[in-house]
Amino acid sequence: MLLLLTWVKNRETVVGMEPDTLPKLLARNRILYSYRVALREKDLGIWQRTTWQEYWCHVRDFALGLKELGLSRGDKLSILGDNCREWLYADLATQSSAAITVGIYPTDVPTQVKYILENSQSTFVVAKDQEQVDKVLEIKGSVPNLKKIVVVDMKGLRRYQDPMIISFKDVEAMGAQISERGPELFEEMVQSTRSEDPAIIVYTSGTTGQPKGAMISHINMIAMIRGLSQILDFLHTDSFVSALPLCHIAERMFSLIFPMWAGCTVNFAESVATLQEDLGEISPTAFLNVPRIWEKMHSNIMIRMQDAVFFKRWIFRAMLPIGVKVSEFKLKKRRVPMLWQVLYGLAYLALFRPLRNQLGLLNARIFVSGAAPLSPDLMKFYHALGVPVRECYGMTEMSGISCMPPNDEIKIGGVGKPIPGVEIRIADDGEILQRGHSVFLGYYGNPEATREIMKDGWLYTGDVGELDSDGHLKITDRKKDIIITAGGKNIAPSELENSLKFSPYIKEAIVIGDRRKFVSCLIQIEPETVSHWAQNNRIAYTNYKSLATRPEVKRLIEGEVEKANTNFAQVERIKKFVILDKELDQDDEELTATMKVKRANIEKKFRDLIEAMYS
Amino acid sequence: MPLLEITGLSLHFGGIVALSDFDLTVHKGTVHAVIGPNGAGKTSLFNCISGIYRPTAGQIFFKGAGVSQLKPDQIAEMGIARTFQNIELFAHMSVIDNLLLGCHTKMTTGLFSAAFFWGKAVREEEQHRLEVERIIDFLEIEKVRKKTVGSLPYGFQKRVEIGRALAMRPELLLLDEPVAGMNVEETEDIARFVLDIKEEMEITIIMVEHDMGVVMDIADTVTVLDFGSKIGEGSPAEVQSNPHVIAAYLGQE
Repeated sequence: MLLLLTWVKNRETVVGMEPDTLPKLLARNRILYSYRVALREKDLGIWQRTTWQEYWCHVRDFALGLKELGLSRGDKLSILGDNCREWLYADLATQSSAAITVGIYPTDVPTQVKYILENSQSTFVVAKDQEQVDKVLEIKGSVPNLKKIVVVDMKGLRRYQDPMIISFKDVEAMGAQISERGPELFEEMVQSTRSEDPAIIVYTSGTTGQPKGAMISHINMIAMIRGLSQILDFLHTDSFVSALPLCHIAERMFSLIFPMWAGCTVNFAESVATLQEDLGEISPTAFLNVPRIWEKMHSNIMIRMQDAVFFKRWIFRAMLPIGVKVSEFKLKKRRVPMLWQVLYGLAYLALFRPLRNQLGLLNARIFVSGAAPLSPDLMKFYHALGVPVRECYGMTEMSGISCMPPNDEIKIGGVGKPIPGVEIRIADDGEILQRGHSVFLGYYGNPEATREIMKDGWLYTGDVGELDSDGHLKITDRKKDIIITAGGKNIAPSELENSLKFSPYIKEAIVIGDRRKFVSCLIQIEPETVSHWAQNNRIAYTNYKSLATRPEVKRLIEGEVEKANTNFAQVERIKKFVILDKELDQDDEELTATMKVKRANIEKKFRDLIEAMYS
Repeated sequence: MPLLEITGLSLHFGGIVALSDFDLTVHKGTVHAVIGPNGAGKTSLFNCISGIYRPTAGQIFFKGAGVSQLKPDQIAEMGIARTFQNIELFAHMSVIDNLLLGCHTKMTTGLFSAAFFWGKAVREEEQHRLEVERIIDFLEIEKVRKKTVGSLPYGFQKRVEIGRALAMRPELLLLDEPVAGMNVEETEDIARFVLDIKEEMEITIIMVEHDMGVVMDIADTVTVLDFGSKIGEGSPAEVQSNPHVIAAYLGQE
């Protein structure tokens, strides 16, 4: 009873409070939601829960431990590893100390890790496991600023004698002792955080050149979420599955900023390999992903359907068109006729409900695709299933999302209206300019790059687009990627590429044609689906290379290219293509950590192949 | 005291000599590799240690106690677990069930409480299940924990087999060709697991292996067998330069 009374009393003090930094939001949530689940992580086959109260304690202990080790205002702490609860503890603990968090992709190779540690002048690294620790140890000689390596999972590290290594638990234990002596210490640290200070540095994936560290302040993040929450109303009952790397701004929003704002629950999958099953178990209420995953889910469905028994195949083929028809009504904002409603009900029970359940999308109400354009065909497919995917527009330099279509205004091919607080202007050459409180502070230690992107208070995005009559933004492409053929025709390669990638057999497509006679394309096949197709058609192969070079596969892809070509005008169509005989890889500098192709590198690397197509 | 000591071990099948007067000493906390050409008697040695074959002559001591006359289940209970060259799992059972079966020797539930799944049986099941989940986590097979073993790729089956042996919570683990038939990446994974088993779980390992890369990288001591007799022993580097070993592997001029 007493507990309840104190809770009610505490609650009164925080209702109506406007916290202006993430740590202050955590302090508020701890009182508002104290015994609700904040985080879940599957461990040893069971979903382990962390309440807001426990969340607060972990952050407090870790922050005080770091302080004891010498982390102070303005210092940088890098986090290197897969998503887990400790990632967020470390992030918030750093921000509570008025220090700055830097996220590093767990897939980065040691030289990239070194670049970021050096560039950000990090004094601490939090590494998830042995794999990441090895990377840091390999390059620690060349980063003299580094003081400590804090390790989350000590498995396999028993023999390591390096005095820089300390376990996450030990740091927390140090902090717990301090907090016992001075219980108000951490509260004071949290209250002294300032909204205008930089909170995080996010390294942009860098499809060209070295990554740049974008400094984002508390006020940037709060401005973004304040605007966005007027369009997507997040509730404390919402839950997300943390799937993308946390160092990426999109996942930072879903796993950190939104939950801090609205008290939502974040779930961490057991491992990267079990993500799909864990998604099915959690069935999150909101789902944000990159087009690559939406494409992958689509091709998985198509392949499973090919293997299904006759009856299931028939259901799929008969019911999908009903969904397509109904979604067309909805997208045009017309009333769905009675007959179609009945048919849709039937299709829902027979196909859409079980399918969505399998995908873990049954309870979801918000579906977002971002970071790269999604093919319109794919969007239509998901809308037909009753999964109204919407595309949003955002960038690291805008602290995440800057355009998002409201619930009843989703358009295929459009990214919606600017969120409240963001102003958008189209420059004379078509470039999108933005301004608002969510515009970042600048690139860390790189004022030239900042001056290049920030002119007269406007952020020059480098994307080309247009606003339609409803005020919705439509993105054409990256400014530097637009192809001008020898005939003088402007072509946006991403439209063509997405149309190709809609095929379950095509994983990656790179359209080429700048200053050339015609448009051509490099294609990477999707090994899973193509090998499946090859087995069904009794085509022998040994490895990826032998599969990719089979003439039958070439004919298969030819058919897919033909299909994609029908959506485009004569001059835009792909006249020739080559299938790459290797898989594109991040380690070979062909992809960024977010799986975007590094166009310039690829064009350089496969120059001979490209020239052969044009000679 | 060495963990395992073998003295004067001989094994004959009629006129065929599988092992003759063989001595071996394995110390706690090491990875001990046994190598040799095909038919040298490596698997026969394993079968003697695990009690499948009764040696013709000689003694095997595990922690000072003679085990050569014991039955396989008694030896397993003492703390010696093994995997097989060809996978010997229950193909129609799930990964979890296969691993739980490894806990069998540690189960003490009676027929009655097990049949009604009541009282002690529940507590014991929970405890073993936790143990099994730790092994699943250790071997990184979360993705397949509920799949039937027969439907898994070869590399995963090998891991499950190691997992089942670990579920017995042994002190000595016998691995019979753990990386045979694996690609480079799978081989590296298994090598890492073997080292982790040694260090994290403090289990001593005897390993029969043909992949010399793995043996040279992870073994502390190597014993070379040829035609049932020991022809060399020492650190990987010593064995590599031993002329007898070179002759046995490459043939004599």
